[in-house]
Amino acid sequence: MRLLIIEDEPGIAGFLKDGLEEEYFAVDIAYDGKSGLDLALINEYDLLIIDWMIPALSGIEVCRQVRKAGNPVPILFLTAKDTVEDVVFGLEAGANDYIKKPFEFEELLARIRVQLRNKNQNDDSLSAGILSINPVTHQVFCGSNEIILTPKEFALLEYLIRNKDRVCTRSRIIEHVWDIHFDSDTSVIDVYITFLRRKLEAAGAGNIIQTIRGVGYIIREPGMS
Amino acid sequence: MKMKAQNALMKGKALTNGWSVVSLRNRIAFYYTIATAFLIAIVFTTIYFMVENVVYKQFDDEIKREISEILAYSNISIHNFQGFANIKDIDDAHNDNDHDNKSTKKKKLPVDTDFIQLVNRTGEVMNKSASLSWCVLAFNPNQSGTSYFNSDFGGTLVRQAQVPLVNQKGITEGYLIVATPLKNALIVLHDLREIFLFSFPVIILTLFVLTRSIAGKSIRPIEKVIATAEKMSQENLDQRIPLPYHHDELYRLSTTMNALLDRLEDAFLREKNFTADASHELKTPIAVLKGTLEVLIRKPREREYYETRIQFCLTELNRMSRMIDQLLLLARYESSKMNPHIETIVLSRHLENVIERVRPSALAKSISITVDHAEQALVAADPGMLDMILENILSNAVKYSPSRSLIAIVVERTTNAIVCRICDHGIGIPEEKLHAVFDRFYRVDESRNSSTGGLGLGLSIVKKLADLQQIKISIESKEKCGTSFSLTFPVRDING
Repeated sequence: MRLLIIEDEPGIAGFLKDGLEEEYFAVDIAYDGKSGLDLALINEYDLLIIDWMIPALSGIEVCRQVRKAGNPVPILFLTAKDTVEDVVFGLEAGANDYIKKPFEFEELLARIRVQLRNKNQNDDSLSAGILSINPVTHQVFCGSNEIILTPKEFALLEYLIRNKDRVCTRSRIIEHVWDIHFDSDTSVIDVYITFLRRKLEAAGAGNIIQTIRGVGYIIREPGMS
Repeated sequence: MKMKAQNALMKGKALTNGWSVVSLRNRIAFYYTIATAFLIAIVFTTIYFMVENVVYKQFDDEIKREISEILAYSNISIHNFQGFANIKDIDDAHNDNDHDNKSTKKKKLPVDTDFIQLVNRTGEVMNKSASLSWCVLAFNPNQSGTSYFNSDFGGTLVRQAQVPLVNQKGITEGYLIVATPLKNALIVLHDLREIFLFSFPVIILTLFVLTRSIAGKSIRPIEKVIATAEKMSQENLDQRIPLPYHHDELYRLSTTMNALLDRLEDAFLREKNFTADASHELKTPIAVLKGTLEVLIRKPREREYYETRIQFCLTELNRMSRMIDQLLLLARYESSKMNPHIETIVLSRHLENVIERVRPSALAKSISITVDHAEQALVAADPGMLDMILENILSNAVKYSPSRSLIAIVVERTTNAIVCRICDHGIGIPEEKLHAVFDRFYRVDESRNSSTGGLGLGLSIVKKLADLQQIKISIESKEKCGTSFSLTFPVRDING
């Protein structure tokens, strides 16, 4: 899952990036509204975290512009202002949720996960066939056997399962699992897919990841073909 | 504060809701009516007396003509009186005249009720017209010369003329008294008086009522002012008093009040912004510290990672503590409890001290600082406060100057002040932002991050300190060329 943080305070942006990367998110940072908006419109993010008071273009304005461009990406805003009007103003500008500074990192994480849930999903667990993963605890189970994955492997699997029954192109996978500093050599995906397949097969999950030649990969729910 | 304001408001309400607005209206009406009543009284009296005068004059003329006719007919000479014996019956003469000479009658007013009487010097009636029958006209023995007066004659007022009859020797032998009834004239005068007396209070009363309503109408804008002022509170400080159509005193009152409200709103917004800024400025480092530490403690990490994060937290803590110090300082100055200890000090010595203090950071950027003409300058200031001002301005100058540039301090003496100018060749301040640089938490660089390490409080502290010591501070700047701060020390205090 790839996030964009638009925050001018380097301290906050720094610990958010540290903490979120540990949670297997790919994180990009923009230090002002303008570059943030550019990034948000060019790249495909799974969530935007926007501070309200940022230079060049206010958080509210970034939010409006993103919505105006027809981008439905979930937006979480950070604010040091805590009056009701500010919050209402922010939500009306198109934000999905807000969190007041100073905030608990765990709470932010929980709110991010709520926004990342699929529409009909009530909890954070994701599954495909006998394979189930928990993004909160970063655990992967094949039936009752736990499979140990590296963060990148986990992030790749999480992305594929979140988009199960849909073809994930290489470029989309790169965009959502790796951050902006990664050069777009997509062969790294093949390497990680190979690692992942090997671990899943060893655990008895079978070859759940299918290759769509020349396009990308797909995880299909068994019984739907 | 709020309580006080509330009290003042309540007091204002009591005053405005009660009699005072009505009273102003009544007062205007009252004064106006009094003035008008006085004028009307004068006018009425004048008219009355003029009419009376005209009426009596007419009577007097009539009587005069009558007298001359009588004298001519009866052959009486008032300057060469021959005695009563020669006089024909005056009444007959009159009647004859009526009968014989119709042309003269035409000239005459209807004097059918004229009374004629001749008296001797002692007032004894010598002859009289038949119209008098048994009555006698009043005689005033003290009168000398021809005189006209009113007198009571058998219950009715008459206008009477008394002509002295003088013989050849110049001795008054007797008097010719002619009278004519005043009846009609009196009715006119009486009616006039009645009309005046009756209309006077009516006019005054009507005037009062009218003036009162007009006054009420013309002070209605005041009530609008009151209504707006009463509704005003923190929530709707943007409300303004509607301006009246006419550009009169009330218009001025309204514009003055509106200007006052502008200033109030401005101050209030500043205060509100300050609170918002302060909370943002204080919450941000807390958020940074909290978040960094929370992320740090989630997992066991390498020693190096711990060290960098803890180091980062310490710098953040230091920044915060500096900000709290400055905020407290500012709060103390703003409460105006701080009295500066003004002394006469040598400006150059303080400049040297401060330059010494900023020298390390200046040397790091190879910035040279020059001081001109400061040797003899004595200024009145609080030494500690002056140091703080100079250090703030100088460290700003160093901070925003490029490497290898020059900071020039020039001290000039004008006729009534000493001006200390600190000029740098730094990044400068855009013109549209100059006015706000003394605001608390204002930073020219909009991204409120700590890349320059500034807190946005330094210059507001400088301003506060300068105000306390009556040092005028001004700033000139050109973007990308440099900034120049001028401190103007008043000269009047220097001898003190």
